[in-house]
Amino acid sequence: MHTFRPHSARLLLVALLGVILSGCASQPRWPDAYEKATLTNVPFHPQELYQCGPASLAMMLNAQDVQATPDELVSKVYLPERKGALQVEMVAAARQYGMLVYPLKPELDVVLKEVEAGHPVLVLQNLRFGWWPQWHFAVVIGYDSKKEVLILHSGTEENYRLPASAFMATWDRSERWARVMLPPDQLPATAEPLEFLMAAHDLETTQQTNAAKLAYSTAAKTWPDQPAALLGSGNLAYQQGHWSEAEKYYRAMTEQFPDISAGWNNLAEALSKQGREVESSAMLNKAQETKGLAKKPSAD
Amino acid sequence: MQAIRSYTQSVSAIMALVMILSSMWAIPASANIVGTGELLTEQRADIDREALMSMLEREDVKGALASMGVGEQEVRERIQSLTPSELADFKQQLAEAPTGEGVVGIIVLFLLVFIITDMLCATDIFPFINCIR
Repeated sequence: MHTFRPHSARLLLVALLGVILSGCASQPRWPDAYEKATLTNVPFHPQELYQCGPASLAMMLNAQDVQATPDELVSKVYLPERKGALQVEMVAAARQYGMLVYPLKPELDVVLKEVEAGHPVLVLQNLRFGWWPQWHFAVVIGYDSKKEVLILHSGTEENYRLPASAFMATWDRSERWARVMLPPDQLPATAEPLEFLMAAHDLETTQQTNAAKLAYSTAAKTWPDQPAALLGSGNLAYQQGHWSEAEKYYRAMTEQFPDISAGWNNLAEALSKQGREVESSAMLNKAQETKGLAKKPSAD
Repeated sequence: MQAIRSYTQSVSAIMALVMILSSMWAIPASANIVGTGELLTEQRADIDREALMSMLEREDVKGALASMGVGEQEVRERIQSLTPSELADFKQQLAEAPTGEGVVGIIVLFLLVFIITDMLCATDIFPFINCIR
């Protein structure tokens, strides 16, 4: 009996270590084509409390010349009963300051690319394990490819150099949550049209009308092939009761994207609001026609 | 009784007025324009659909479907009629799969679910499948 005990204890230890270490086993390769960068325009706010949410958000906002202190952000992002800030609150608060919040693809490469372009990246890490989480927000402000480290403003550490393997292990456990926050007339380096337009639409639905307007026009300039940029601008004008301005955007949409019935439909509404019922019903017919056309291929 | 009856008349008059007002109130609030979000959801679904279509080009997927006796054309038609939320479901499943493996299984299983529901007459997409009933 006595001889078995240490043996089984050792076995248990090995098994336990195996389970623990398997969590951080995957080590992705450091992407090529990056050298070294440190953003110097991101002020540092040390913070230990609140999972570093308010401080990290303040750093992100200050980097875009938005005045905000960690203290004033506490009430906006901190949930006392959870003892922390949630991603949703962080994002919502940034929108209240008119920032466009863009969700990054969950790849290290994408984070580096944004930093290279001068955009600090807000990341969520889980410093412990899935079943006993310690959530932590930090701001990626640089990297050094030779040493394979990321440079973060993290907690009470300014310019904290974190090895990529450690970063990936903790970032993986937050499902690689990463966001950039920019004024809506600027594009994230890795922006994709639909993703950007959805972020613009989020501004629209949270009553950040001016910011949304700017974001839609940025999208329209960058991707002239995106109908939602025109529709978004038109809908904003419509919601504000600017019928003729809305008409202008909707008309542009029907000219550039005659196959999309939404443009015709909304144009009809904008005309009707101006009392031009004859024109309006003609446009409504167009909307029905295009709808019929769009449905046909999948109907049979 | 008489008193109550006289009350009911004025109460119902007020109620009618409230209902008329509230229904009129709703008209300007719910305009008939197509929201930007709706268009974006549609476009996102189109892109997802194309991505799923291109997965059908994979030899292993083709093989797996063929071995189960499902024709490629039927599958394409089925994908055409997937709703945005079904497509989002599929993307979720694919994202949660361990990298590299299991992709074929997920695609085939996903499509199979719809074929089985067709068989149970919950849906009626594949004309070649006869319901069990």
